[in-house]
Amino acid sequence: MEGAFDYAPAIALFPLVAFVVALAFGKYMPKKGAIAGIAATGGSLLLSLWMLAAVASGETYHETLYTWAVGDAASQTGVSGIEFTFGILIDPLAALMLVIVSLVAFLVHVFSLGYMNAEGETGLPRYYAGLGLFTFSMLAFVYADNLLMAFMFFELVGLCSFLLIGFWFRTKSAPSAAKKAFLVTRFGDYFFLLGVVAIGATFGTLQFAGDGSFVAAAETAIADGETLFGFGAETWVTITGLLVLGGVVGKSAQFPLHTWLPDAMEGPTTVSALIHAATMVAAGVYLVARMFGYYAQSPTALAIIAFVGGFTALLAATMGVVKDDIKQVLAYSTISQYGYMMLGLGVGGYVAGVFHLMNHAFFKALLFLGAGAVIVLMHHEQDMWKMGGLKEKAPITYYTFLAGALALAGIIPFSGFWSKDEILYDAMIVGLEEPLIMAAYAMGLVAVFFTGFYTFRMVFLTFHGEPRSEAAEDPHPVGWSIKAPLIVLGVLALVAGAANLAPVAKLVGVDIVFLEHWLDGEFGAVEGLTYSAYGDLLAYETGVVGSEQLTVLIAAGLSLLLAFSGAGLAWKLYNVPEPVEHKENLGSAGKVVEDNYYQDEYQVWLAEGLTLPLARAADRFDQTVIDGVVNGVSTASLFGSSWMKRLQTGIVTNYAALLVTGFIVLLLVLGVLGGWFI
Amino acid sequence: MTIPIEYYVLLSMGLFCIGLFGILTRRNALMFLMSVELMMNAAVINLIAFAFYHGNLTGQVFALFAMALAAAEVAVGLGIILVLYRNFRDVDVTVPTTMRW
Repeated sequence: MEGAFDYAPAIALFPLVAFVVALAFGKYMPKKGAIAGIAATGGSLLLSLWMLAAVASGETYHETLYTWAVGDAASQTGVSGIEFTFGILIDPLAALMLVIVSLVAFLVHVFSLGYMNAEGETGLPRYYAGLGLFTFSMLAFVYADNLLMAFMFFELVGLCSFLLIGFWFRTKSAPSAAKKAFLVTRFGDYFFLLGVVAIGATFGTLQFAGDGSFVAAAETAIADGETLFGFGAETWVTITGLLVLGGVVGKSAQFPLHTWLPDAMEGPTTVSALIHAATMVAAGVYLVARMFGYYAQSPTALAIIAFVGGFTALLAATMGVVKDDIKQVLAYSTISQYGYMMLGLGVGGYVAGVFHLMNHAFFKALLFLGAGAVIVLMHHEQDMWKMGGLKEKAPITYYTFLAGALALAGIIPFSGFWSKDEILYDAMIVGLEEPLIMAAYAMGLVAVFFTGFYTFRMVFLTFHGEPRSEAAEDPHPVGWSIKAPLIVLGVLALVAGAANLAPVAKLVGVDIVFLEHWLDGEFGAVEGLTYSAYGDLLAYETGVVGSEQLTVLIAAGLSLLLAFSGAGLAWKLYNVPEPVEHKENLGSAGKVVEDNYYQDEYQVWLAEGLTLPLARAADRFDQTVIDGVVNGVSTASLFGSSWMKRLQTGIVTNYAALLVTGFIVLLLVLGVLGGWFI
Repeated sequence: MTIPIEYYVLLSMGLFCIGLFGILTRRNALMFLMSVELMMNAAVINLIAFAFYHGNLTGQVFALFAMALAAAEVAVGLGIILVLYRNFRDVDVTVPTTMRW
């Protein structure tokens, strides 16, 4: 594996080249830039797999490639000079994520052949250029070795989502959704930027790993009981951690900044798959995992992460129950699933969170691509009430979609069960000691029921029963480029859970927790970035009910029971030949849920009712007071000078007289002051 | 027998005041130029007188330079007066006031 890492920059650069090629020459290429994109992401995938193999053989990579500014930092802790650099950090986490991102990006590119090219879309070079840039930013974000570089690519990811969500810019809703996604995530990123500046100013370094990392610096500061910016070191770590978390909440669509994500469904379905599975939304959670050592030092920040995650999981799951648009259901399920990941990371379940991130990437990409296939089948109809009966007509789409749905609902033995159960188990054992976490766990647990319900409501409405529209009776055929990615992801959704069979391992005592060993650096790791290193930093107490085995059984049994009852309810209500809506049974609660808990309304009110008047007042202050002072000064000097200029008569004699008078006056003044006349 | 320095200074002062008076009262540009020459020469007398008084040659050398400068100045001044006359058909300095703002 010698020299494998020399090719690491190429992983991100391939899609960048594809971006340039698609943008410049896409028009003249046979598939409008798709070939370049597929080749580039395929290359990235191969290189990422090579990196994975290299890490597995015990090597890691941490290099600074380019230093673009060196300064003297007035940092609070010892480090004298701050350096702004571009560097690459490939450890087990980054290597794993690189493979996930490039794999999903590759499959999305292939799928686009069937979804975009075959459907005769216009503007395809722009589309493929956007996908390329998106993949590039995400891959570079994943192996960024410092917070500033991560921030820059985090922003670039946001920009790409704007470009792609607004791909159909001639419609009315798409540009608006793109703007919303951009602004809402930008609101979170604003706090992220503050956090980056605060961490840089405090510790004089922005590195993720190594002795010179801000994580290590924070650890020393807390151990020495230092005072940073007037706060205790731990409080300050909490504050800066929460500032960075602002960006995470925005990008990973956590409450209360989740409102952009359902609207983002305006983009092409392939873009949704990419955004939700591997790039934009995953970036937030990945960032928490990346700097987990930092958060691990602050129990407050972790508890907030866990609670926000649990709350978001439940909130989004309930909203998914009443949606009619297949993509909307998936959108809310994404928010909910990322809530689970946050819950997992927040309770210290680093492995569980990353595990779910991986599984979710596979089954959510599968579900979105499946939904894309359904939309193609249905001649671009997205309303589930107009579908039905697609099961026999499109078996491959059905069975792969079903695999994704089973994983999403968390039904054993599909991948989603293993990771979600591990998250809930980690939350439960911590929750037994900490009431707040218990509340977060309870919310996560209830969300399992809703997840099972809305997932199977979607499956039954779409594929079962009788066709409810002409399009559903006579579906449009789909090609191999749509089916192949579905099959790959379907298999992954089924088997990816085998990476970490923690409950089985605990019950029978067999060592089958591969992912845990992987993240714990048993193959190769950067020092300090391992699961056990994080475990040493965590301050959580864990409890058990009876024995560990019993606790595992209770946790798994509870979540399975709830998932099955949710799915069963959906079976009972919707797996009939002619399903009907049951919303009226929900009464007024249904109305509140259907209106998304008025989240959009209150945020619009915040913008229009509060911020706008405030901005108006500031504008008025600017227009009257500030401008008044400036204009007043200029008016006064204009007026004064119009008087002064009369001195300039144009008659030379007058000037001479003035000169002489001035000289005499000066002489007299000097004389009086100098005491000549006394 | 040497003349005391005071007399030179008085001469120079008188000459300067005559020049100044000319500038302040005359309207003819040629008279103006002459008055300026008078003031200049007053200064030159001062230079020479003090050079003599202090016994070094620096002042006298400067006086030579000042005379050369005066010659150049007269040439430029006369040129200006010629242009003035061409434009205004007059050499009265109070006439061309349009060049002020």
